[in-house]
Amino acid sequence: MTEEGKYSKAADLSEELREHLGSLILVLADNKRLLGMRYSDWILGAPALEAGIACSAMAQDEWGHGRIFYAMLREFGQDPNQLEHGRESPEYRSSELLDGPAAGWTDLLALNLLLDSALSVQFEAMAESRFEPVHYKVSKLLDEERFHFEHGRGWVARLGSTESGREAMQGAFAPVWEACVRWFGPDDDEVARALCDGGITDKDAAGLRARWLERVAPVVESVGLGLAEEDGGAWRSRTEPAWEGWDPDVRRGRGGGPDADTLVRVRGDKNRPLLMD
Amino acid sequence: MTLVQLGRVPSEPEASVSLEEGMDFSAVLAETMGVGRALPPPPEWAEPPADLAERARRAMYEISDPEFAISLADLGLIYGVSADETIGVVTVELTFTATACPCTDFIKWDVRDRLLREPGVERVDVEVVWDPPWTTARISARGRRILEDAGIALIT
Repeated sequence: MTEEGKYSKAADLSEELREHLGSLILVLADNKRLLGMRYSDWILGAPALEAGIACSAMAQDEWGHGRIFYAMLREFGQDPNQLEHGRESPEYRSSELLDGPAAGWTDLLALNLLLDSALSVQFEAMAESRFEPVHYKVSKLLDEERFHFEHGRGWVARLGSTESGREAMQGAFAPVWEACVRWFGPDDDEVARALCDGGITDKDAAGLRARWLERVAPVVESVGLGLAEEDGGAWRSRTEPAWEGWDPDVRRGRGGGPDADTLVRVRGDKNRPLLMD
Repeated sequence: MTLVQLGRVPSEPEASVSLEEGMDFSAVLAETMGVGRALPPPPEWAEPPADLAERARRAMYEISDPEFAISLADLGLIYGVSADETIGVVTVELTFTATACPCTDFIKWDVRDRLLREPGVERVDVEVVWDPPWTTARISARGRRILEDAGIALIT
């Protein structure tokens, strides 16, 4: 650590912080990679041509972010090439929501508004991180993510203006909502606490979840999806997360990982001889 | 070591790219995509090129962005150029317009390719930085004029 309390490289971190942060970066990189894949499933066949084009741009952004953060894991003693191309399904730390394609447009929209925002909140918590390699990359990422949020918000407003649109969203958003509320971990999550105490992030799990609620609850409740309520000026979820099956190390609500087809595509199995570094 | 600091913040280098001997990517791009040919002449400098860092910095005005026919310097992608003349190493800190820029390798190759043609350069290190994030506000007045003449509107 330097005098100003900054860490310029992973080797400067305590062993505990290095392990926690390395794990968090892999969680984020995997979620970015898999979310990009899910956006890409809807490049054609979205309800509007413009929506497909937006999915194309968002898919590309997610893979751009993934590329940066996989590369960063090199200094945490991991091999980015192996992480990107050489892992089996259960080794992925992406949310179970991303294991297979979104079944419909409203399911994709739920990932766009709720899960993508959860990832952004986790990155935003590192905007002023003492760990400089992350700190210096987050603002560009968040710049790009603003458009993802606006896209999600715009579609919720659009679909929310009709009864059938609202009903479709209610069905699709509920499971994604539940998984995203849980994704930050329990309020007393020790890893999130240690990262916050160490100045890597600026909030613990409870603080991050509150920030996420503040961001997405007004959007879903502007069209009355009934997922959150305002309580003394703060938003809270109407459902409590179920912790059974939650694995804090991989930040997943169930075992397993990406489905077979997703895995082949995400690792680039069919293009392996063409890989360029 | 002379440092011409145009922006701020060095960061750790990302995986280095290799330039295969004899490959001229600017020429390949110009042939296959028609880019790089319409690049306007670099600015007229008040004095002739002096030390290596300054020559290297000026060279950034001769490399076209793969998509827009303005130089990497005019597009505002170059954050810093430094040189160690004693060992012939030039270090370029640059950014990209987007994290998922599909032309990152082209740009790195072009920078290396151009600088390796500069007398006294043995090695070129390209470091990718993301802070401060690139925005259209980083495009030079000259670059802006060229883009506007080409009918490209800039959202600021």
